[in-house]
Amino acid sequence: MENFVFSSRAKTTNLALMGVGLICLIISYFVDGGEGHHMRFWTNFLHNSVFFLGIAALAGFALAAFTTAYAGWFVQFKRVWESFSTFLLPGLFLMGVIIVGLWLHSHHLYHWNDDAAVLEDPILSHKSSFLNKYWFTFGTIAFVGLWYFLLGKMRNISLAEDRDDNDTNFSYYRRYKVYAAIFLPIFGFTSAAMIWQWVMSIDSHWYSTMFAWYASASLFVAMTALTIMLLIYLKSRGYFTMVTAEHFHDLGKYLFAISIFWTYLWFSQFMLIWYANVGEETIYFRERMQNYPVLFWANLAINFVLPFFVLMRNDTKRKMGTLFFASAFVFFGHWLDFFNMIKPGARLTLIEMAAHEEGHAGADHGDTAVMGHDEHADEHEGDETAALAAGEVVSEGDNLQDPAGHDDALDNDNIHFDASAQDDNVPVANEFRGGPPETRGVGPNELATATDRTDPDVFEPNQFIQEEHFGDNEMIGHLEAAGGHSEALHTLGFKSGYTLPGLLEIGTFLGFLGGFLFFVMSKLSTARLEPKNDPYLEESIHHHT
Amino acid sequence: MATIRIERDGADAGAVATGQEAVAAGQRNILFGLYDDEVKLLDAVKAANADHLDIDDVYTPFPVHGLDPLLGLEESRLHVAGFIFGTIGCLFGFGFMTWVFTRDWPIIFGGKPYWSVPAFIPITFELTVLFSAVGMVTVFYIVNGLGPGAEPRRLHDRITDDKFCIAFDVTDLDGAEVDRLRDYFDRTGVETVHQKMVAA
Repeated sequence: MENFVFSSRAKTTNLALMGVGLICLIISYFVDGGEGHHMRFWTNFLHNSVFFLGIAALAGFALAAFTTAYAGWFVQFKRVWESFSTFLLPGLFLMGVIIVGLWLHSHHLYHWNDDAAVLEDPILSHKSSFLNKYWFTFGTIAFVGLWYFLLGKMRNISLAEDRDDNDTNFSYYRRYKVYAAIFLPIFGFTSAAMIWQWVMSIDSHWYSTMFAWYASASLFVAMTALTIMLLIYLKSRGYFTMVTAEHFHDLGKYLFAISIFWTYLWFSQFMLIWYANVGEETIYFRERMQNYPVLFWANLAINFVLPFFVLMRNDTKRKMGTLFFASAFVFFGHWLDFFNMIKPGARLTLIEMAAHEEGHAGADHGDTAVMGHDEHADEHEGDETAALAAGEVVSEGDNLQDPAGHDDALDNDNIHFDASAQDDNVPVANEFRGGPPETRGVGPNELATATDRTDPDVFEPNQFIQEEHFGDNEMIGHLEAAGGHSEALHTLGFKSGYTLPGLLEIGTFLGFLGGFLFFVMSKLSTARLEPKNDPYLEESIHHHT
Repeated sequence: MATIRIERDGADAGAVATGQEAVAAGQRNILFGLYDDEVKLLDAVKAANADHLDIDDVYTPFPVHGLDPLLGLEESRLHVAGFIFGTIGCLFGFGFMTWVFTRDWPIIFGGKPYWSVPAFIPITFELTVLFSAVGMVTVFYIVNGLGPGAEPRRLHDRITDDKFCIAFDVTDLDGAEVDRLRDYFDRTGVETVHQKMVAA
């Protein structure tokens, strides 16, 4: 079959998925009672928009990179990637909703969009030349628009090539190659800037130089997995008869290799931050390891351990069953990876907003509230308990109600840890930084575990990320520096839609997936599936790994 | 019909023996043809399969795509050895560092715990790769009788350069069957046909 026919059954399925997604989005808008400007709704919307927009962009990247590298094996199914890349346009509209929300302040995804907070916050003020709504608006529209323009050009050239009767006219291919080569460097730089704005700036104080690479690798794996699943579906419907196990083998190799590359970046980002042990950076991982352990480790298990062992053997990449299984898991896994990038930071913003509002309701407090303990404090590690106990002492009479389910929130202005409280809070590392020994005395409020911690021989081996040590006068500044969220001293309980995806998140995901597939399939049906005049078609048909 | 060139080198110098004589001397009589192109080679192998000729082996200067299935070769199990050696390297590296830094000679670096898993991972990774690579090369050498000190056994020098070779064992074949092979070489566009005694 030359042309893909978008069957009514496939249409109905995709529309039903979109319906489910829409309903879930609407429910999530109302179910949170307007908490944090409907934070759950907006994070779900942003999460899925960025994820599917990224898949579209990475499909274009794969086309451009392979074309520039004179690759020919993928040419048979390049229409699939061309169709993926056309989703940049709906993706731009989806991000447009975020932009409108940014200007109207109808969401609070980005702490840097709060002008009052930025003024009081030296770090955000410093970053404000990049993290502002003008840059966000310009970057999103101009860059995504530019990608869409270049990739759209490539698709148009490819379609025109098909319509030409002269099948030895290679001028189309040469022009295709020029646009591919123009796209690559532009995409390389602009995609990094946009992923910083869209996702990384949710943890608005935090930054990582590995982040753009990390997110791109994640999206590339997701894109490959979706391509494999769609191709297997299309083959089962009788299309792409010339796409053989050889092509799936190579796609499987990409799935395997980029999964390992993703793990490499995951680890590099983690280890650099762990090794440097700078509070402003470790806070990102500390937050996730302490409060989101299932999400954090499941991310690594699904996206590294599973594809590593399943796809390592040759024959699993050539069998449709195992390949589909691995692709489905990894695809969901990278959706979960983006969940992990977005939700914990948004939840901190949520907590901070609540504390901020409470603060203004009471006295005139600073921006940064330190979370106290929750009722389960005694279940946690000794260092936290000690810190919380110390916090309790100084917070007497000044507890703020925290609507996020925690009794105590301390106002920043009232944080004055005495020497004993500090040391309860500080692991052994302090000794080796040459902290004055007299400040390491044992205070009256410490717990036994806290005293033990000053002895290197009983040092807890699995505590990778240690808390920063703050002097009295530095305390406030460092807490502000550590994310504006004062993450250092809190433990968060389970919260559906943040700690783990709830049913609403899964529904929204399916809805966006349905929308993506609906758009891609309708684009697929507008042109021949196999680019009959592509100079590399023969090579692709006879491809042999 | 192509003339058969008699090849000799060092140890194998001497008259060409046939049949029982060769077997008694512990030698095999190899008839081989050289081709100048891998496409011709692939076609010739297909023709041999069609004629049910029993190819002893095929020698090429570089890996030729699609040759293995034509010769009915099984997939190499070398990567299984690679996985096993890699696993050994992984466990050895991680275990060794664990022993050194928790039992033998604990040192605190930068205030980190003794058992600093993230710091061990790059070295564990490197040792996995090292063990896997060295182990696979060693296994490959042993299985194929290669390596330092091994006497290279090659039918013809140009197989290592630009010629593609199909070899038949004609030790036990009579004249009519050898003529059939020579006819086959002629049909498939062989460049030269050679005969050589090799150690069994």
